[in-house]
Amino acid sequence: MNQQPRRLYIFTGKGGVGKTTLSKAFTRYLLEHDHEVVYLTFQNQSLGETHQGSTDKFINGIREISLDLEDSARNYIEKKLNSKLVAGWIVKTPFFRALINMVPGFNYLIYLGKILDMQNSNPRLTVVLDAPASGHALTMVESTTNFKQIFESGIIFEDTGKMLSRLNDPAYTKIHVVTLPGLMAWQEAVELKAGLTERTPVSIEITVNNCLYPLLENDLDKLPEGLKQKTINEKQLVEENRSQMLCVLPHSLKQDGLSIETDLVGSLSKLI
Amino acid sequence: MTLSTKSFEIFCGTGGVGKTTLATSRAINLAQQNLNVLLITIDPAKRLKDLLGLSADSLGEVVPVEVNGTKLNALLMSPEKTIKRMARKFNTPDLENNRIVQILSKPYGGMNEILSMVEVQMQFDTGNYDVVVLDTPPGAHFLDFLESLNKIRNFFDQNFVEIFTYLGQKTAKAGKKVFGAGLINRVISGGVRKLLSYLQAVTGAQFIDDFIQAVQVIYQSREAFLKGLALQDKLKSREQCNWFLVTSVEQGKAQEAVEIRSHAAHFIHQDHFLVLNKCLEFDLVTWHPTDLHLIQIKDSLEKREQDLKKQLKGLFPFVLEFPEIISLSPSDHLLHLTEKWKSYVI
Repeated sequence: MNQQPRRLYIFTGKGGVGKTTLSKAFTRYLLEHDHEVVYLTFQNQSLGETHQGSTDKFINGIREISLDLEDSARNYIEKKLNSKLVAGWIVKTPFFRALINMVPGFNYLIYLGKILDMQNSNPRLTVVLDAPASGHALTMVESTTNFKQIFESGIIFEDTGKMLSRLNDPAYTKIHVVTLPGLMAWQEAVELKAGLTERTPVSIEITVNNCLYPLLENDLDKLPEGLKQKTINEKQLVEENRSQMLCVLPHSLKQDGLSIETDLVGSLSKLI
Repeated sequence: MTLSTKSFEIFCGTGGVGKTTLATSRAINLAQQNLNVLLITIDPAKRLKDLLGLSADSLGEVVPVEVNGTKLNALLMSPEKTIKRMARKFNTPDLENNRIVQILSKPYGGMNEILSMVEVQMQFDTGNYDVVVLDTPPGAHFLDFLESLNKIRNFFDQNFVEIFTYLGQKTAKAGKKVFGAGLINRVISGGVRKLLSYLQAVTGAQFIDDFIQAVQVIYQSREAFLKGLALQDKLKSREQCNWFLVTSVEQGKAQEAVEIRSHAAHFIHQDHFLVLNKCLEFDLVTWHPTDLHLIQIKDSLEKREQDLKKQLKGLFPFVLEFPEIISLSPSDHLLHLTEKWKSYVI
């Protein structure tokens, strides 16, 4: 029997650690196990002059949603005030733009609100969120708490409370910190996990991506000096910290994103 | 290609590529040329913090550090401290006492980018440094960082200020502080009144009042924020600023570096350098495996790196290559990287 997934998986970590490939592979994994799932990213951080609008399409068989901030904000206000016209006007006012742009966590509030909205109208939908790089994951998680303190009444106050309880519900949300098998990268992941742990009680797990040592450890004497040392260091790092790692994924020899993604799918059952 | 010395050096990149370590090694390289260097960093890993002697106590303060025998100054950004410094320097105590400003200037409250621009300017204004090396926040968020300058500009945009002037009048009626009495009567738009009533339904009335007050105290400190804007011109100037876009072979994404450059097109001038970190090539060329599976691995690693270099060299005027450093000690990393910088400086 298939294990029931959580409703929201947040993949975070520094850029370039393979977050996108991994979160897409995990979306594919859930899909292959007959769950209704969408891969989701945030398109922009502030209300700029140009924006493409949210998109929702199937790419290589998985549903990918890219949320646009202005669209999401307009949607939200439209729902709350029951008027498309007023919502369209509000998001164009300098006051509102300043509010969103000067108060950066606000964008996450709108995005998270949009995600929870989608999930309310489809109770079977799991969202895999390819989240912004590390410091910003903390901003994101913290934004709900901050705004609950900032707003003391009103619709957003109630909604923020709901978001907070979802983000803090271990049965609803799970966070994956993705990192690489280097000492600095590992320590940063541990620090990020600690930072997140202070802010939310949900399960936070570290996955180490792109490990070369499983491919090379049996041929140490045939490697050039640098690569040999790298293999030894990686292996040592993983062995010493194995208990804190949920998943250790080997380097893929494939050259393009989709093939690497397909390579990974089989190794992701623990991430659920 | 030569790297000449400028007043500002900005390191940006996608994170996890060794950007902070590279920025630090460059700061050391500059300090070794007998320059007074300040390194401002946003979020270094703990071991690098330890190496630089940046403890929790020194958060947000300039500290003299000595790395591998070279002396320089380092500052680990703390938005909260920057706000305090601004309040002191510009004599606007309300800035640090405002509830909303306080929440927003928590370490992850989200004002990091704006405040780091202000901080860079304030530090440069001290006249103590020949060069300020800035390690920016990772990723696409570097774009926020650039945008923060525009945010400052928009924020103090005349029309916008007028609206707040009106709002200020509104809170003044409730016995609260107000600014610019001369402006008050100038713009009273029925639209603003309506907007407020709608927004109050969504956010609650208290928030609108609080936010207006936050805007007022920020407005009082506009001199400090606007000074951050002056920085924009310096960063745009080829004579005053070097830009380094950092990526790594591991990451293998030329696309992101190109995206950052295109987003930053209105800032970046001719002197921008693509820094390719963690190159395996230096090691791989010495490897001649005979086993089939090892040949495959070597080919795969080599192909990935070569494709990336080819792509990057077609896209950027200058590509600086740095080797992957295997040592576990961050001090070794700095030593090797600093050496490598020397080969790029005449």
